Amino acid sequence: MLESIETSQLALWLRESPSVWAFPTVLTLHTIGLAVLIGASWVLDLRLLGVGRHVPLSAFRWVFPAVAVGLVINLVTGVLLFIKNATVWGVALPFFVKMALVVASVATLLPIRAIVLRGGEEGRDVGSNARLLAVASILTWSAAVTAGRLLAYLVV
Amino acid sequence: MNHVPTVGSVVALALLILGYARRNQHLKHVGLELLFVIAVLTLPVYVSGVAAHRELRAVKEVSDDAIRIHQDVALFGFAWMEFAGFIAWVALWQWRRRGAAARGLVPVATALLIVSLAVMGRAANLGGEIRHPEIRAADAAASTPGDPKRFVQYSINQTAVYSRWIWPAAEAVHFLGLSLSFGVLLAVNLRILGVMKQVPFADVHRLLPWGMLGFGANLVTGMFFFVGQPAQYVESNPFYWKVIFLVIAGANFLYLTVFGKAWRDGDHDRFTANVGDKAMALLSLTAWLGVLYAGRMLPFLGRSF
Repeated sequence: MLESIETSQLALWLRESPSVWAFPTVLTLHTIGLAVLIGASWVLDLRLLGVGRHVPLSAFRWVFPAVAVGLVINLVTGVLLFIKNATVWGVALPFFVKMALVVASVATLLPIRAIVLRGGEEGRDVGSNARLLAVASILTWSAAVTAGRLLAYLVV
Repeated sequence: MNHVPTVGSVVALALLILGYARRNQHLKHVGLELLFVIAVLTLPVYVSGVAAHRELRAVKEVSDDAIRIHQDVALFGFAWMEFAGFIAWVALWQWRRRGAAARGLVPVATALLIVSLAVMGRAANLGGEIRHPEIRAADAAASTPGDPKRFVQYSINQTAVYSRWIWPAAEAVHFLGLSLSFGVLLAVNLRILGVMKQVPFADVHRLLPWGMLGFGANLVTGMFFFVGQPAQYVESNPFYWKVIFLVIAGANFLYLTVFGKAWRDGDHDRFTANVGDKAMALLSLTAWLGVLYAGRMLPFLGRSF
């Protein structure tokens, strides 16, 4: 199965095309998506931890569409990066560690989103649960980025 | 171009001293702004110096040791200058928020500027000796090729090449730093572009130090890459684009820090940006995307890995 993915036309193009629009652009978009996704979530995490504590949480609703954009970019480019070397990634433990960390990071965003929406227009109070979630979000994203960056040294 | 840091720092220092002498806050403020700009411009100067070194290697009459010493001193000068620029930035940020910098901050920035100026002066002197070998004739005996280990640049280079974990660790930090900087600049610029309109500008301004934290982490790790493996970068076109985008982003960061319009009627003014402000915000985001693009494309459009 992994082999048939890796020998597909698309994978072949990603692997062998000398064009900058192939692998290099996919990889660069993956980095840009990362910056949008993680940068936006961190800004909200900082607010939950008390940076600008009198700003209503509703002001940060833009974070969720931004995160969604980053997430879509990175899902698409991530899948492309995977199929390029499916037989390598499909059996690499560090890759699954990274995926687990990404899932955990995204999982912290769902309750955070519920908290922001529940606060209504003027809500400013952040409970200890929300602060804990913010810390968890910062840490899991950091671990996910670190793991992703290390894939280049541990796997390929 | 090479004279920008030295000449510019002298002007900044003169402004700061004059500001003290005349008790003129405005002069001090301009001095700090100039100091920050010089700190940003020192990056391309340092980078071009390292590039020139590689070209000079081919020239016989130039002593390799003389260049190495110049580069080491320039690296120290660069580090001091960035430190001075950072303190100047903190002072400007506080100034914007409270109408004054914390006590002692401006003198510290001034002192750091004097130190970096002294070190830069030494680097400039040694640089002059490279270009004009005749001034050096008297010391020629002293410049016998020595142990390369005494050069800082050499040690960093050895660490970069032989340590198994430092480079990957620095890469990880570099990516965390870029996320933090980008997130903060995204929030601040979106505010200017009209998202979060109900939030006073002062509250997004509050985020800037976090952007500076990410930027600082990336300056340190980025310089480690550059000094560790200069050959990868000095012959790489996208690296120069990246430096240009960084200079634009740096100038814009200063603009966002001191940006007066949004504060005119106190912190709770609901500032609405005009077309010019919005263009500036778009320029800022474009510059940051340019930094990301050129940086990530280094191995593909250039010859780094």
